[in-house]
Amino acid sequence: MADETNQLRVRLVTPERTLFDHAAVAVELPAKNGYMETLYGAAPLMAELGAGDVTLHGGPDGPESVTRYNVSWGFVEVLPDRVTILASDALKPEEIDVPRAQQQLDRGHKMWNEAGDSEEAYTEALHVIAEAEAKLATAAEKH
Amino acid sequence: MANVLDLRRRIRSVKNTRQITKAMKMVSAAKLRRAQERALSARPYARMITSVLESLTRRIDIFDPETGNLRHPLFATRQEKRVLLVIISGDKGFAGAFNANILKTAFQFISGNPDREIDVEAVGRKSRDQMRRHYPAAVYSEQTDDHGRSVKIRDRKAPVEVTGDHPGMLLKLETSRVFELAQSIISRYVHEEIDAAYIVYNEFKSVISQRLVVERLLPIMKIGIPQITGATEPTTEERERAAEAALSAGISIEPVDTAAADEESRKFGTAQVDYIYEQPAEELFNGLLPQYVSSMLYHAMTESVAAEHAARMTAMDSATNNASDMIDTLTLHMNRVRQAAITKEIIEIVSGAAAA
Repeated sequence: MADETNQLRVRLVTPERTLFDHAAVAVELPAKNGYMETLYGAAPLMAELGAGDVTLHGGPDGPESVTRYNVSWGFVEVLPDRVTILASDALKPEEIDVPRAQQQLDRGHKMWNEAGDSEEAYTEALHVIAEAEAKLATAAEKH
Repeated sequence: MANVLDLRRRIRSVKNTRQITKAMKMVSAAKLRRAQERALSARPYARMITSVLESLTRRIDIFDPETGNLRHPLFATRQEKRVLLVIISGDKGFAGAFNANILKTAFQFISGNPDREIDVEAVGRKSRDQMRRHYPAAVYSEQTDDHGRSVKIRDRKAPVEVTGDHPGMLLKLETSRVFELAQSIISRYVHEEIDAAYIVYNEFKSVISQRLVVERLLPIMKIGIPQITGATEPTTEERERAAEAALSAGISIEPVDTAAADEESRKFGTAQVDYIYEQPAEELFNGLLPQYVSSMLYHAMTESVAAEHAARMTAMDSATNNASDMIDTLTLHMNRVRQAAITKEIIEIVSGAAAA
C-alpha cells in the first residue's frame, strides 16, 4: 500500500524519551557490522546497532534536508513502512562534548592496555573506544 | 502568662514558617510534575524492549530441551544464599514518612532473611547514611592469582555488608549511570557472587495510587512481568491527605492515560513477518537483556523520585495546614489575653472610683 510519498515513519527512542518521530525518505543506520541504508519497502529486519551516526534523509525540514544523530548501541527494527531505533544514548552533533569524548577515548585506551587476557575487559574497552571515536567523528564532521 | 507582645511575635514567626512550607509545597508540586513527565517519556523504550524480548523468546531456540528453562545465565535460578538488595530512598528529608518507610521495609527484609548473606546497594543519600550506620562496608583485598595478575577478593566479615552507595544519583537521573549499576549487578549475578537481586522502592502510578514494593530483579522468570514479592499499601487516610494536597497544588490525581501509546510501543519487534536477523537472534537477545534489566531499574528510580516529591508535597501541605491552625489558636488566645487585660484595667478604674 504505497502512497505517493513513499515515506518511512522513523522513530528514535532512548531510555529517557522519544527523540524523533517523523517521516523520512531514507535512513542510514550504524549496524554493528557496518552501515546500512533503508528505504521505503525494505524487508523486515532486526539488527543490533553499534556506535555511529543515524542519518535521516528528507526529515522534517523538507525532502533535501539531512538530520543526523550520534547513537551509541541499540537495536533497530525495520518494517516496510516503519523504522524504529532503540538507542541506549543519542545526541545531536552539536550536543557532543568533545573534551569529554576525548577523555572517554583515553579511558578506553587505558582499559585496553590494562585488560590483560580477560576477554570481557577487552570487549568493554572496545565498546568505550568505539563510542568515543564515533562521537569525535560526528563532532568533527560538523565543522 | 504570655503577654500580648510575646503572642504577637509567635504568630509572626509561625506565619513565616507557613510561608516557607507553602513555597516548598509548590516547588515539590512542580518537581513532581516534571518527574511524572519523565517517567512517562521513559515508557515507550521500556515497553519496546519488553515486547521485542517477548517475541524473541517465542522465535528462537533458547530453551533448554531438558529442563524447559531459558538457557541464558540471567534466567538461571539458584538457591538464594547470597542476595543483593538495592534500596532506593530519597536524597533529602522533609518528606514525611517517605524515607522512614523505605528503610523500615529494607530492615524488615534484612531481618526476615537471617540465614542469607545480604549485600546492600544504597541509592539515595538517606538510605546510604542509615545503612552505613548499621552495617559495615564490604572489604576487598588484592591478591595475586596463578598467572601473576592481581585480583580483588572479597573478605566477608558480616552477614550484611554495604557494597556500594550512590548518593545524588536520583538528583540528576542519567540513564548511563543507571546502566552502569545494572551492568555491575548483572556481572555479579553471572559470576555467582549473588544468587538473586531485589529492589525496595516506592511505586508511583498516581498521587493517590502508590505503594512500597519489594521487587525481584534477578533472576528473570518471565519477560515483562515484574516479580513483586512484598507490597505495602498506604492507608485510606494517607491517600485522602495526598489527594487533598494534590488538588490544592493543581496536580491531577488520575494516572495519565497511556493505553494508545503503550499499544503502539508494544508493536515493536512483534510484527507477524519473518524478520531477517542481522545478527543471530541469540546475540540480539543477549544484547537486549542488560538493557531490559537497566530499564527496570531506571523505571524504579523514576517512580521513586516522583513518589518522593509527592510525599514531600503532602507533608508540606500538612505543615501549612497545621501552621494555619496554630495561627488561629494563637490569635484567639492573644485576643483573650488582650481582652482580659482591658477588663482588668476597667475593674481597677471602677473599683478605684467606687472607693473614692
